[in-house]
Amino acid sequence: MEREDAWRLTDQLHAGTGKGDPFAAAVRGTRMPMIITDPRQADNPIVYTNNAFLAMSGYDRDEIMGKNCRFLQGPDTDRAAVRQIRDAVTSNRDIAIDVLNYRKDGTSFWNALYLSPVANEAGEVLYFFASQLDVTDRVDAHLRTQQEKEHFEREVARRTRDLSEALAAKTMLVHEVDHRVKNNLQMISSLLALQTRTITDPAARASMESMLSRVEALGTVHRRLYQSNNVERFDVTEFARDLATDLVRGSGREGIRLHFDFEPVEVPVAKAPPIALMMNELVTNALKHAFPDGRPGRLSILVAPDDKYFSIKITDDGVGMPVPVEISGKRSFGKRLTETLARQLNASISWQSANPGTTVHVSLPRESAVSSET
Amino acid sequence: MSDKLRVLLVEDEALILMQLETLLEDAGHVVVGTAMNAADGVALVYETLPELVFIDLRLGDGSSGLDVARAVRDLDGITAVFITANTRQLSGDLEGAAAVIAKPFSGSVLEETVAFLEQCVRNPPPMMAVPHGMILAPAYQASWAQAAG
Repeated sequence: MEREDAWRLTDQLHAGTGKGDPFAAAVRGTRMPMIITDPRQADNPIVYTNNAFLAMSGYDRDEIMGKNCRFLQGPDTDRAAVRQIRDAVTSNRDIAIDVLNYRKDGTSFWNALYLSPVANEAGEVLYFFASQLDVTDRVDAHLRTQQEKEHFEREVARRTRDLSEALAAKTMLVHEVDHRVKNNLQMISSLLALQTRTITDPAARASMESMLSRVEALGTVHRRLYQSNNVERFDVTEFARDLATDLVRGSGREGIRLHFDFEPVEVPVAKAPPIALMMNELVTNALKHAFPDGRPGRLSILVAPDDKYFSIKITDDGVGMPVPVEISGKRSFGKRLTETLARQLNASISWQSANPGTTVHVSLPRESAVSSET
Repeated sequence: MSDKLRVLLVEDEALILMQLETLLEDAGHVVVGTAMNAADGVALVYETLPELVFIDLRLGDGSSGLDVARAVRDLDGITAVFITANTRQLSGDLEGAAAVIAKPFSGSVLEETVAFLEQCVRNPPPMMAVPHGMILAPAYQASWAQAAG
C-alpha cells in the first residue's frame, strides 16, 4: 500500500474512496480521541487525527499532522511511562497506560492511552492506532484517595505512638507506686521489729509480734503481686506457700513439718490482702495452739478450687482444740479479725476435729467482688 | 565470736537501715559502716574492705546501688547482696552480686538470709537451703560447683 493510500484511508476519507465507508466514518465521528501514526516513516509521525483528539489536545490539525506524538509530553510526564510506550512501539506490541500529557495551552491532563499496532496479512506493521481518554478526574480521585490513605496511616501511626507512650508512662507509674508501697511496708515492719525488741513485758511483746506478722503477711502479698505478669489476678497457692514457710521458719519451730496440697487458684487482686490476713491468723493460730511445749507435728495446707468457690484447709495433727479458744469469755482480737475478714470475703469457716488435731476449712467465692471496697 | 562477719550496709531508708544493723548485730556480726548514697557506699567499700555488703538498688540523691556493686566486683573477696523492691530492674548476672532479697522481706527471711550468707562467705558452698525470699545469682552458684569440682 502506498502512502497516498494511507492518507486516503484516514483524513481524506470524507472525500474519495472512504466516503461511504461506515468504519472510517465511525472513527471520524466518535467522541473518543484517536490518532494513527505510521511507523514506516521516519520518527513515526501522526498521519491521522480525528476531531475529538483535536478538541481534547487544543491543537489544530495542521499543527500536529506529520509530527511525532512526543509534543504531548511535559515537565511532569513520567519518563518511565514514556519509555514503556516507546518499547511497545519498538517491539510492535500493544500497550494500555495512564500518562500525564499536556494540551497546547500548557495545562496537563491524565491520558488513558491505548496503543495497538495494525499489521497487514504479511505481518508487517503499517500503523499504530492510538485511542485516548481524558481520565484526569479518575486519576485525581485515585491520587486523592491515596493521599488521604497516607494521611490516615500517618495519623494512625502518630496516635499509636501517643498511646504507646501513654501506656509506657502508665506502666512506669504503676511500677513506681508498687515500689513505694513495698518500701513503705518494709519500713512499717522495720519499725515494728525495732520497737518490739525494746519491749520486755511478754504479753505486750507477743501483741507486737502478732502485729508484725500481720504486716509481714501484707508485705508478702505485695511482693507476690507483680511477680507474675498478670496485674489483675493473684495466685493463692504461691502466696500460701510463701506465707506458711515464712511463719513456720519465723516461729523457730524446727519440729513442725509443712505439707502443701495445691491446685492452682487465682482470685482478683482486691481479694489478696484479706485472704492473706486470714491465712496468717489461721496458720499462726495452729502453730500457737496445736503444738504446745515444742510438740513436733505436721501442718498441711490445702488450696483447691470447688466450682465457683475455692477451699483453704489447714490441718494440724496436734493436740486438738476444743473449738477456738476464747480467753476470759471475750473474743480474742485474732478471732474477731478472722470473723470480720470472713464477712468481707463472704467466706464460711468451720473447725472440725481431724483425729488427731484440727482442720479449719474456709470456703470462699472465687469471683464476686469483696463486700467492702478496698 | 570468731565467725562474725564484717558487713557494710548501703541503704537510704533510715528504718530499714536500722533494722538491718540491729539484726546483723544480734546475729553476732559487725557492721563496719553504713552509707545512704552510692558515692559514700563506694568510698566505704574501699575504706573498710568488708566481707559482705548489703546494697539497696535505689539510693539517696538519685544514685544507684549498681555503682556500689560494680566497685565491689572490682575487688576480690567481697560478697554483695542487693535489697530491692524492684527485682525486675536487675539484669541476669546481678552486676556481680551474689543474690537479691526482694522487699518487703520478713524478719525471718532476713535472719535466714544472713545465716545463709555467713555460710557462703565462711564455708562455701552453703549447706542450708536457699531462703525462699532470696534469688541467688546463677554465676555465683556456678562458682561453688567449680570450686567443688
